[in-house]
Order: sequence, then C-alpha cells, then structure tokens
Amino acid sequence: QLDRGCALHTAARGGLSSVSSQDVPAQRPRAIFHTSENDPAKHTEQHEGRLYNIPLEEVKAVFPHGLPHRFQQQIQTFNEARVMVRKPALEILAYLKGSNFAHPAVRYVIYGERGTGKTMTLCHVVHYCSRQGWLVLHVPDAHLWVKNCKELFQSSYNKDRLDQPLQASVWLKNFKTSNERFLQEIKTQKKYMWGKREITEEGRPLREVVEQGLARVRSATDAVGVVLREIKQQSHRGSFRLLVAVDGVNALWGRTTLSKEDKSPVSPEELTLVHNLRKMVTNDWSGGAIVTTLSQTGSLFKPSSAYTPQELLGKEGFDALDPFVPIPVPNYSPREFESCYGYYLERKWLQHEKAHTEDGKAELQFLSGSNPRQLDRLAGPL
Amino acid sequence: MAAPSAAGLGRRLRAWLPRIMPVRWSRYNPSYLEPEAKKESYQKPLEELTEEEREHMELKAVRPIKAAPPSLSSSVFSDPMISKFTNMMMKSGNKVLARSLMSQTLEAIKRKQLEKYHKAPENEKETIECNPYVIFHQALKNCQPIIGLSNITKGGKTYQVPIPLTDNRKRFLAMKWLIAECRENKHRRTLMPEKLSQELLLAFNNEGPVIKKKHVLHKMAEANRAYAHFRWW
Repeated sequence: QLDRGCALHTAARGGLSSVSSQDVPAQRPRAIFHTSENDPAKHTEQHEGRLYNIPLEEVKAVFPHGLPHRFQQQIQTFNEARVMVRKPALEILAYLKGSNFAHPAVRYVIYGERGTGKTMTLCHVVHYCSRQGWLVLHVPDAHLWVKNCKELFQSSYNKDRLDQPLQASVWLKNFKTSNERFLQEIKTQKKYMWGKREITEEGRPLREVVEQGLARVRSATDAVGVVLREIKQQSHRGSFRLLVAVDGVNALWGRTTLSKEDKSPVSPEELTLVHNLRKMVTNDWSGGAIVTTLSQTGSLFKPSSAYTPQELLGKEGFDALDPFVPIPVPNYSPREFESCYGYYLERKWLQHEKAHTEDGKAELQFLSGSNPRQLDRLAGPL
Repeated sequence: MAAPSAAGLGRRLRAWLPRIMPVRWSRYNPSYLEPEAKKESYQKPLEELTEEEREHMELKAVRPIKAAPPSLSSSVFSDPMISKFTNMMMKSGNKVLARSLMSQTLEAIKRKQLEKYHKAPENEKETIECNPYVIFHQALKNCQPIIGLSNITKGGKTYQVPIPLTDNRKRFLAMKWLIAECRENKHRRTLMPEKLSQELLLAFNNEGPVIKKKHVLHKMAEANRAYAHFRWW
C-alpha cells in the first residue's frame, strides 16, 4: 500500500499525469495505475484512468444494490473494490459541484454502447454523493419493475393501478440499509392510513413508513410511494440534498411484458412504482439532482443496436426527460486500457503466460475493441 | 527437386481420386500444402532460415494451399488440448455453447484458486497453483491410464487382455472419462462449469472419481496379467 502512495506522490509532484507516466521509473510500472485518493470529491483530471479503492464496509453500506454482478464477483475474488476514474464521471461531478440547488433539479442522462461503463459511472456518482452526505435514492435497474413480476395486485389507493409487493419490499430493504440516518430525521407531513387499521401519524419519522412497508408486504408499494412523495416535498427546504439515481430509465416509458388476469397487456403508467418514479424524475422540485442511465441490455422490445436517447426512450420518454444533459460514455482510451490491463496483471487475474507479453496485450486490445465488458469477459478464462 | 510445372498441375488437379479409398481420407490432391497460421514463421528475416525452410517457402510459391479449417487459430492463447476437449464437450454441433462452457470452467477454476491464494498465509502462497491452464493439463495427465484392456476372443471365450495404449488413446480416454463423469454424476441443478471445475481440481490433486476409475483399470490389467501373451501385436 505504501509503495503505491509513494509512486503517486512522485507523480503528483510531476504535475501532469501524462508526464508522470514517463517520469516514474520502469521498476514500478503498475503502481501508477492506482491512486490513494479515496474520496471522489477530490478526483480531478489528474486521476483520470486510475483506480481508486472503496473500503469493503463502505461498499456494503453505500451499495446494497446497484453494482453490476460481474463487479461484485470481482470484489469477492480480489478482496477489494477498485473503481476506475473516467472522464464522464468527472464531468458529472464537476457539474454537481457547481450546481445551484435553489434552481430546479438538473437531469443527467448517461448513454453509450453496450458494456462501456454506464452503470459504473452512476455508481461513482452515487459514492460521491453519499460521501458528501446526500440522501441517495438509487434504483438499481428499473427494468426489473416492468418484467418477470410474479405477483401483481390491484392497488387499494387507486383502482386502475397495479401493485408489485415483492419488488417494492426488496427496494425498501436496500433503501433502508443505505440511508439509515435520514430515515430518522425526515418526518412525515400528513397522516397515512394503511388499510383499515394501521395509521402513521403526522410528524413520525420516515423509518416507521419503511418498517410498515416491510412488515406488511401488501402495502409495500404504497409505502414506496409515500417515501418518494415525502422526500420530494421536503427536499427544497435545504436540510438535505437529494440524488435520484435511476439505472435503465428507459424502462419507465416503454412497454412491459406483464399482463393482467384477463391477459391484456399492462402499460407502464398502470404500475404504481413506475408512476411514482416518473414523478420523481420530473424537474419540478429543487435541492438536488437526477442522474439516470439508459440501458439496452435489460430493455424490452428494443433492437440490440439502439443506444442513443432518442431510440431507447422513444418519443414519450424523450419529451418527459427533455431538457437533460446527455453524457456519452465511450470505450476505454489507450491509457485507460493500459490501466485496466495493468490492474489485472497485478491482481494475478491474467494467468496465461502469453497474456504477459506484448503480443498478448495487443491481441486483447484488438479482440475486445477496448470495450470494458468484452475485456472483462476475455480476461476471465485467460 | 525441381519444382513441377504449373501446366501439369492444372491438368492433374481436377477430379483426382486415389486408387484405394481409405476409411478417413481427404479429397485434396496430395500436392496441396497445409496452411501456416503462426505469426512467428512469417516474421523471420530471410537470412535466418535454414535450407529446408527456404525450399519449403519456394514450394509454397507454386503449390496450392488447402483451405484453413475453422479450428485453426493464429491467436497466442489457442491451445490444441483445450480445443480438443471443447470439441468433445460439444453436442449437436453447438460449438458456441461448448466454448462458453469451457471459458466459464477456466474462470471458475481461477476464481477458486485465487480466493484460496489471497486467504493463505505467506509461506503457503507459492504452493497454490492459480493458472487454470496448468491445472487443466496436469489434471489430464494425472487421469491418463498407462495400460488399457482389450477384448480378444480365443477358443470361443472373450478375454480382457492388457495392451499398451498410444498417446492419443490415453488423452482421449482421460477426456472422455472427465466429461462422462461430469455429465452423469451431478445434481440436476449444478451447472457444467461448476462441476467440471470441481473435478479438474480434484484430479489435479490426484483425488476424485476419475482417478479412481483409472486405478480400477490398472488393477484389472494387473489382475489379467496372465492373458497378456494373447496379444499378437
């Protein structure tokens, strides 16, 4: 650990990171791919292409859900969580640092081709915001709410809509893990009746609403709706900053594969969870930001070559999200590729003898096309 | 050796059939040469080549070359044993699935060994092998039987006679036993990569059902030593 820190200090004194990669002698060519700067608030262009460490306890607290599956496997194998600092994430962090929270919330849409690192960019931003003490509303994959739902009940609040108790309770459990202290501080502003007997009074902490949703699974969806509404109404006061992080936001405005009991298809508006989330993603509240990601991988009825906002969101979604700040995420630049390759070598992930040679590296770069997901898939068996 | 004339070749290339038709044969005229996929052979400068290599290069300028089979790869990561094993795992020509299963198996082996490696104390770290290819090759070598049995009928009765095995046959038997073991003796819900990685790691340490099968075969051959003279080749 100390070696890496020393290498970085010499690099930091060098000034520009491109100069430092030539300055640092060849004895430690891999240590410069790491950075000891673990606070995302202090990440600058100098740290671009480098990997920073998130302590494992923080990972469990900040990301109970939301990290991609392969990254979770990687954390378990390497016993550490290293995230690469890339340009799109730095861009969003700069915008967040400079934004005026009295104005309505700005929407950022991260888009890019498959496997370029959109979800990891979102996780970087979520980590920054949780470090800064924001209230983070992280929906790990909105597509999970519009497909493969075993139980759909008619909502008691509004006869036309449908409830999804399982998905809602899972989300509430993870939301509770990540935002413990806010649930104690934020108080309800209205009296809520759950069914005929249970009541939550005005002025009770939000934690009770969440407990109610977890205890009575039937009312979990309504609990989610209440939580979202309370948070939105109180965010403009300024006691906390709110980040709405939605991965796969194009699920909210597409089609679903669910059907009602009479086999008629369900459109997303008829789902309570989707309806409430759409209200969160509109920019009629202030005191925070909305960072979303488009995703083709879990999407329904969209061609696999679609990646732009226009194609994935459709007309309805685009009009609902418009105006937004688009953030494209490209494949790895040569420096980022070197960094990732060096990290795999250092953690002994690339075990094949030929993978250590220049030929092997050139072949990996060519076969993966510098796409992060392809590189990860290729380096798996090697 | 003078190079044959191009005109003679053109006449003789069409509709060539050998006089005797062997069982495994190819339709190619014998003048066709094998394709060369290794990059290193093309990167050598002219001076370093030996006499026969120079002749071979001149021959390639006039002779036609066979079409490259799809399994021929110029990748530095390609391994003939792994390709053979993948082909044996393949069912109804689904090479994509077989290859993905193979890569998932290698990854599973690597993950298990790396987890063990990171948790081990310093002095034991060198003993843990993390390279899935080394484990695969060593496991296969450990599973190969030395001596085999063959059915020879003499005087109306069939005897199990111990016979020596060729290298190819040994490799084939080892791979066949591994795949059969993984297909039959696993729980309905475990996937092939998981089971294969388990079996390969056991075979690497000389344990497990495949090694046991090899030992049983050796014992049978030892028990039938008396009939060894029945073999006439």
